[in-house]
Amino acid sequence: MDIYDVLLRDFPFLLKGLGVAIVLLAALLAIGFLLGMAICLITLYGPKTRLVQWPLVVYERVFRGVPIIIMLFIFFYGLSGIADIPAFTAAILAMGLRSAAYQSQIFRSAFQSVPAGQMMAARAMGMSKVKAIRHIIFPQAARHAIGPWTNEFSSEIKETSLAYVIGVVELTRQAHYIITSTQGNVLTVFAVVALLYFILNRAGNSLLYAFERKLAVPGFEK
Amino acid sequence: MADDLILDVQDVKKAYDGLEVLKGISFGLRKGDTKVLIGPSGSGKSTLLRCINHLTVPDAGRIYLNGHEVLDDNIDAMRARMGFVFQDFNLFSHLSVLDNVRICQIKVNGATKEAATQRAKRELERVGLGDKADAYPAELSGGQQQRVSIARALAMDPDVLLFDEPTSALDPELTGEVVRVMQQLAAEGMTMVVVTHEMSFARQAADEIIFMENGHIVEQGTPDAMFTDSVHERTRAFLNVIAEHG
Repeated sequence: MDIYDVLLRDFPFLLKGLGVAIVLLAALLAIGFLLGMAICLITLYGPKTRLVQWPLVVYERVFRGVPIIIMLFIFFYGLSGIADIPAFTAAILAMGLRSAAYQSQIFRSAFQSVPAGQMMAARAMGMSKVKAIRHIIFPQAARHAIGPWTNEFSSEIKETSLAYVIGVVELTRQAHYIITSTQGNVLTVFAVVALLYFILNRAGNSLLYAFERKLAVPGFEK
Repeated sequence: MADDLILDVQDVKKAYDGLEVLKGISFGLRKGDTKVLIGPSGSGKSTLLRCINHLTVPDAGRIYLNGHEVLDDNIDAMRARMGFVFQDFNLFSHLSVLDNVRICQIKVNGATKEAATQRAKRELERVGLGDKADAYPAELSGGQQQRVSIARALAMDPDVLLFDEPTSALDPELTGEVVRVMQQLAAEGMTMVVVTHEMSFARQAADEIIFMENGHIVEQGTPDAMFTDSVHERTRAFLNVIAEHG
């Protein structure tokens, strides 16, 4: 049985691994989005007291400043002493919380790129701060954020492969199983895996770019 | 406080880092009045205008709109009754012209979409932009954008309109179309406070001109009185300079 037959036979396992990677990706991006947006809104519009702002700054610095592989180890081996969490959950938490730190910065810069006059005009028309953020600032910030967010999306797809190190059976680990079972063929197997990551990345990017085009404001930023 | 005043500004003071920008300003408007605030840069005109709707919160003094004091507690409701036209328009850049004029009617005043649409179209006709409803702000000239922002303010059915140097960001060519809209509004009986350097507008449309300098009202009076025989030398000097360059 040559490697191509093996690949063909085991392709469903690769697809299963890809599926696990996609679920991991979706979960970590969702956590990152919700938490990142909350951090951004509190940073920009919340109370300016140190008690509120300092923890956010520390959080963001720590999660952006420590390698993801170390975070994975800390969450898996560290937390498993306290609570029995599966590797998959540990990966979602570590990567989601880290993505939140990055996404908070993407959103912060997007919100700050909306000219101050927009908030002023909305308030001058009688909108409350919350209404102004929701109806005027957010829709403009969202448009600014899609580009950088696409970048975060691409990074995170690739980083799901690191969940491998704590034993999550995602695409890269499935590939490794094939390599181990056939004792070799590293290049061929990883080339197929690379192609799968690449296709997922391109598909996601194309969707996001299409979304960006759909939201584009006529005459603006051209 | 006089009962028939729509807007009553009483002894408003504002300082920035110890520098007094407004040193106790009082004036009032009756329904249909157009008052024009003039004065050199840094005289406090724009700060005064922003104090009226608390875009800048005054340090002292009281402001009444229709007999109700403007306070932090009721500021959103009060602002909805006071249209504000900015020097640099500040149209909502992600919304079409129609939506710019509709959104606050719906989200602030609670108007239905149908009512807001009708009103928006009427106000756009009024400023001569009925055919631009589907355009986006970035597709319009500065003069057109400013007219949309006037329509946006009018659509809220305000008691008073505040104009903060509405033509200062415009080319001389585009100033005229905005000034004409403002003159028309004044003639139709809109109550307006206008900060401007457009002396032709002040002369033609103002019921009263207020000349400010260094945070004080130096002199106020009808355009005729102010342009022909203003009492203060400082007023005359300012009007002469403006007349030469404007």
